[in-house]
Amino acid sequence: MIVLGANSDISKKFTELVLQKEDIRKVYLLSSSPDKTINFRSHLKVKYNADVEIIKLNLLDPPKIDFSSMEYSLVFCASGYMGAQQEAVITNNEDNAKITAINYSNLILVLNEIAQDMERKGEGTIIGVSSVAGERGRKSNFIYGSAKAGFTAYLSGLRNYFNKKGIHVLTVKPGFMYTKMTEDLELPKALTITPEKAAKLIYRGYIKKRNVIYIAWMWKWIMLIIKSIPEFIFKRLSL
Amino acid sequence: MAVRKNITNWGNYPKTSSEITHLHDANAPDLKLSHDKKVIARGNGRCYGDASLGESVISTLELSNFIEFDAKSKTITCEAGVLLSDLLEFLVPKGFFIPVTPGTKFITVGGAIAADVHGKNHHKDGCFSSFVESFMLFVGPGEIIQCSPTENDQLFYRTFGAMGLTGVVLSATFKVIAIETSFIYQESIKASNLDEIFALFEDSAEWKYTVAWIDCLQKGKSLGRSIIMRGESASLDKLNKKQAKNPLKVHDDRIKNIPFFFPSFVLNTLSVKLFNWAYYLKQFRKKETSVVHYDQFFYPLDSIGEWNKIYGKPGFIQYQFVLPLENSKAGMRAILEEIANSGLGSFLAVLKLFGKNDSRFYNSFPIEGYTLALDFKYSKKLSGLVERMDQIVLDNGGRIYRAKDCMSRAELTNYIKAESDWFGSLQSERITMKS
Ligand SMILES: Cc1cc2nc3c(=O)[nH]c(=O)nc-3n(C[C@H](O)[C@H](O)[C@H](O)COP(=O)(O)OP(=O)(O)OC[C@H]3O[C@@H](n4cnc5c(N)ncnc54)[C@H](O)[C@@H]3O)c2cc1C
Ligand SMILES: NC(=O)c1ccc[n+]([C@@H]2O[C@H](COP(=O)([O-])OP(=O)(O)OC[C@H]3O[C@@H](n4cnc5c(N)ncnc54)[C@H](OP(=O)(O)O)[C@@H]3O)[C@@H](O)[C@H]2O)c1
Repeated sequence: MIVLGANSDISKKFTELVLQKEDIRKVYLLSSSPDKTINFRSHLKVKYNADVEIIKLNLLDPPKIDFSSMEYSLVFCASGYMGAQQEAVITNNEDNAKITAINYSNLILVLNEIAQDMERKGEGTIIGVSSVAGERGRKSNFIYGSAKAGFTAYLSGLRNYFNKKGIHVLTVKPGFMYTKMTEDLELPKALTITPEKAAKLIYRGYIKKRNVIYIAWMWKWIMLIIKSIPEFIFKRLSL
Repeated sequence: MAVRKNITNWGNYPKTSSEITHLHDANAPDLKLSHDKKVIARGNGRCYGDASLGESVISTLELSNFIEFDAKSKTITCEAGVLLSDLLEFLVPKGFFIPVTPGTKFITVGGAIAADVHGKNHHKDGCFSSFVESFMLFVGPGEIIQCSPTENDQLFYRTFGAMGLTGVVLSATFKVIAIETSFIYQESIKASNLDEIFALFEDSAEWKYTVAWIDCLQKGKSLGRSIIMRGESASLDKLNKKQAKNPLKVHDDRIKNIPFFFPSFVLNTLSVKLFNWAYYLKQFRKKETSVVHYDQFFYPLDSIGEWNKIYGKPGFIQYQFVLPLENSKAGMRAILEEIANSGLGSFLAVLKLFGKNDSRFYNSFPIEGYTLALDFKYSKKLSGLVERMDQIVLDNGGRIYRAKDCMSRAELTNYIKAESDWFGSLQSERITMKS
């Protein structure tokens, strides 16, 4: 399997679960910080006898990677960047450029390379972790939100493109998860899940060949409500 | 940036608001330290008192990678935040076990080293330190030191039992033991008083695992009424048919949780009395033998999840002391009398005979003699009893386990010699101030 954003807690837990459940042994960990991935590689070797390769992928300066020689049929993409949480998002364009590159513009170029390779091979699954933040722009994080919206649309188009070509695309929309991205935030307990739980839910979606899943389930309904608020009201809200 | 959170250890007393920083990379912990604010490592918060609390806390729970395992030499290397429960899931099916384990499997390897935990086999095998070959220690900004008996040996020995005051353990290499099955052959024997239980411990020196449950509410002739449980790792031929189907069975990871804090009145003296009485009567014969799974033998409380909540919001303390062998019997009698008279009963009281200590690990808690661990619900009345028990421990030359301590006299806990410019906890500050 190929994992993009290997240092994400979700990636780690999902990869472990796959190795526990499936007959997969070859793992490619794509990471912007390969040094921080070394012990995880050992972990997968010791625990699951996996054959792990670490490949550097900095989405701010994406390299050319040859996917054709890789052995895989499952791709898990958790790459993402929420941005430095500052007051007004429109003031920090340096950071905004990073947000759009990591969550969308450079990420989809890499995924397109993988997609072409998978199309040639004719089978497999791509799992993309987007976010509920992409469903409606909010003043506090709409650069991230709009990049995720783009990514969600990309995954939906890719699914459509691959229809009848043997390749499945699963879009994952998390609400809140306890990960290193959010460790300095106060998150509402009832709406936040652990990486272990997230991995289980994603794995279930993968096995059931679902198209789009919200994790956890209540976010589907929360977003339904948020999306149904008329714009003339929504624009006055502080969410 | 670190976030402030309200945290508390297993006893739910005391509670603090701490700034928490998470470590993610065992090879390069990017910690910014400053001289005016000490920090302390925190594993899974399974110590009872204030040892892993402080103004600024470093969580190691994300350091959860296994790094190396060699079945031939029986050594494993893993990061400091790996839980014993994770180790068991990995080791047991392969026919290996943790060499020293406390009464819960939900502690980290870092916590096992920092408290130098002891188990039911202390009299045979010593503490966790007996099995550790080396560890990596973060000792200050940008400085990681490999410690073993041959490299930085002073720091190696000092760290065991030092409760995080020498630095943050990042990873460790230690020995595991081979097992034929994951079951324990167990004998339970009733003792009707203190002299009987002491004699049983002395008789059981050859058994690998020994521990006794003691009913702390008994007085007079029945003072010390208890049950000793002694065990050996069971060989295949000891298992019944059902057990033999999966001789290296791993513990069940489902736990029943107590979802809310019980109202405080639930645990009054009466219920404690009933609990102890039922426990005692469950066994009709003087001696029972059985073959039980390791989860039941070592971790009877783990399956109830957050059982600590039954003590209610105010929380509880665990009081654990050890008395030198020569004073053990008289001292134990005096303390048990004090407890029985106080009426502040304990839900859990565990008695054990420690073996000789390894003097190289001078910060470790165990010394040869009897140790007793018992819980008290927190209340205002408690400090008086703790003072009286402390006095008896002091008069008998004993000491208190820092992994449980939160209010004892400094003279009983300042046996740890570890000073640092960077590391300090609520506990170390309290003890230094009182000393
Ligand atoms: C039900 C129960 C039964 C128990 N039975 C026993 C028993 O039989 N024998 C026994 O010895 N203990 C026993 N304990 C106590 C427990 O084993 C110890 O307190 C252990 O240290 C807890 O580990 P932790 O990972 O939860 O660490 P924490 O509780 O978070 O921390 C404990 C101490 O270790 C330090 N520490 C933690 N991680 C690191 C690190 N990586 N580097 C440096 N310092 C670190 C902390 O600063 C603190 O001083 C029991 C506890 C419970 C709840
Ligand atoms: N946590 C939440 O509450 C939450 C909610 C909704 C959606 N999400 C989404 O879930 C996914 C996983 O996030 P997480 O919570 O696990 O956060 P995370 O730990 O920050 O993971 C995101 C990963 O993206 C990769 N990444 C970051 N910058 C990169 C760069 N310049 N180039 C290449 N890769 C880069 C990193 O992996 P490497 O270090 O291996 O490069 C990083 O670990 C993300 O897409 C996130 O947007 C999270």
